[in-house]
Amino acid sequence: MLDDYFRQYALLAIFAAFAVAVPTGMLLMSWMLSIMKIRPQKPSLIKQAIYECGFETLSGRWSQFNFRFYAFALIFVVFDVEVVFLFPWAASFGVMSATFGAFVLLEMVVFVGILVVGWLYAWRKGALEWS
Amino acid sequence: MTTHDIYLLSPEISMAGLAILLILVDLVVSRKSILTIVAVLGLAVPLALSIVLWFDLTDQAATQMKADFGTEIVTFVVDKFSLFFKFLLVGATALVILASSEYVSKFKNFHGEFFALILFATSGMMLLASTVELITIYVSLELTALPIAALAAFMRDSRSSEAGLKFLILSAISSAVLLYGMVIIYGFTGTTVLADIATQLGGLLDGESAFGGNALLFGVILVIAGFGFKISSVPFQMWAPDVYEGSPTPVTAFLSVASKAAGFAVILRVFYIAFSAEILSVDWSAVFAVLAAVSMTFGNLVAIRQNNIKRMLGYSTIAHAGYLMVGLAAVASRTPDADAIIGPSGVLFYLSGYAITNLAAFSAVIAISNRINSDLIDSFAGMARRAPFLAGVLGFSMISLIGVPPTVGFMSKIYIFGAAVDTNLEWLAVTGMVNSVISAYYYLRVVKVMYLREPIDDAPVGSALPMKLAVMVTMAGTAFFGIYPTPLINLARSAVDVLVS
Repeated sequence: MLDDYFRQYALLAIFAAFAVAVPTGMLLMSWMLSIMKIRPQKPSLIKQAIYECGFETLSGRWSQFNFRFYAFALIFVVFDVEVVFLFPWAASFGVMSATFGAFVLLEMVVFVGILVVGWLYAWRKGALEWS
Repeated sequence: MTTHDIYLLSPEISMAGLAILLILVDLVVSRKSILTIVAVLGLAVPLALSIVLWFDLTDQAATQMKADFGTEIVTFVVDKFSLFFKFLLVGATALVILASSEYVSKFKNFHGEFFALILFATSGMMLLASTVELITIYVSLELTALPIAALAAFMRDSRSSEAGLKFLILSAISSAVLLYGMVIIYGFTGTTVLADIATQLGGLLDGESAFGGNALLFGVILVIAGFGFKISSVPFQMWAPDVYEGSPTPVTAFLSVASKAAGFAVILRVFYIAFSAEILSVDWSAVFAVLAAVSMTFGNLVAIRQNNIKRMLGYSTIAHAGYLMVGLAAVASRTPDADAIIGPSGVLFYLSGYAITNLAAFSAVIAISNRINSDLIDSFAGMARRAPFLAGVLGFSMISLIGVPPTVGFMSKIYIFGAAVDTNLEWLAVTGMVNSVISAYYYLRVVKVMYLREPIDDAPVGSALPMKLAVMVTMAGTAFFGIYPTPLINLARSAVDVLVS
């Protein structure tokens, strides 16, 4: 029992060791190859540019956004989160409906219904209008 | 979930349903005064369902709702205790909505939203009165706190935004503290169900060390701190005055009455069920006794210096949280021959009396300050001539808040200080009485300004019909229960039976 418990720490330790060893090993190898003159060293402007993380920034980063994006983002998040709840519900629908019957369907109808009311309210009150 | 569970939850479900209905009605009607009527009449549904549930209870048997996680866990019960609070909460909400009928015209486009948020918060509070399990308690607390944060920020000026933000941040912090305490208690006992916690502790406590160990002591202190925020007791009161002053006045009334009632409901439930062991209850009652004395003294002393009536009533609620905690401190285990339910029934009686009185005071303040556009006590000068009826009600409710007969404030103070004396807490009763005298200064100042000062303006201050209705109902309640409190006391006593049996 206790051995099993500590074995999980051992797994964690192995994982951590790999996580440290792989990048260190790669850097070390690159350094060794350059010492042994196998790797050519010809730096240029393009080679030294930032890569992998998208473009270089074009202007100042403290630019201002239109405040209306905020309301749109909120409405988006509501429905995004709704989907997060829909997936596990859909995945376990078969198992749950075997024990709880029609309640499972009804619950989701109520949940989506409440969100639809919220959406309707936002729409009618003009939260979706840009101007 | 079974059909029976839905029946048990029906007051809460109908409350949330009413909130959604209001949002939909708001979209189709153009005359917004219909919303007030729909909201107040709609509240009859949860009230009726609660009454049906009350008569469906067979004697002491609590009706339970179980969640099945492999082992069955009781999360929600319907008993007289929870139904008492449901009546109180539905009544207070109805009065707040009536009293805000005129005030909501300030919100232009958002009447329905305002009422719906109040009703959502109330459904959370009603759940809170019924929960008997730590996680359900936490979820209901959040359901209560989030709509209130939005309501506090409803006015869209800098004061109101500050109030909303302060409430949001501080309620998040207090929830974190509360959760930490719950985690420690769970770690100590291995269960989140209140009744099971009590059974587990029964086996763990050795009778030597306080709380059976420092870990549990720490957990209980954190839980007290978390709940202390919710009921605004010293030293967790710092959010209250700012939030009370900045929020729209109906929201302030709602916060000071309904939110506080729900807080005390859950405190009574947690401490009387989970930590009911004698060795424990003596210790936490000492904590509550000290908090009570500090809260009432601090609240009353600081209220003296306030010029804004909302802020003054904010400090006054801190003081009243102190008086209420006297009832929490008065546990039967302090004395062998004490009446077992006098403490908790005192809390319930005081809460209902305080709710009626405070709603009377707030309705009058809303009615007056909405017309004269000022919350300063000085601008109430000569109000006795400009609005004789409203000034009379405000004066009467101030007298009830001091605790002078023939008002319900007097009766509830007698009862709760009597509970303190019965449980060997004479010093606390004396502190409470001295504090009542101190509080007379600032409550009577309002009366003095209204009756003895010359009016600034001679224009009479009128009020609309729903406003008058709210004022009259609360005033009648204050006077009626001040003369004949027996039905209310009996109701409170029968409600707390489940806590001590």
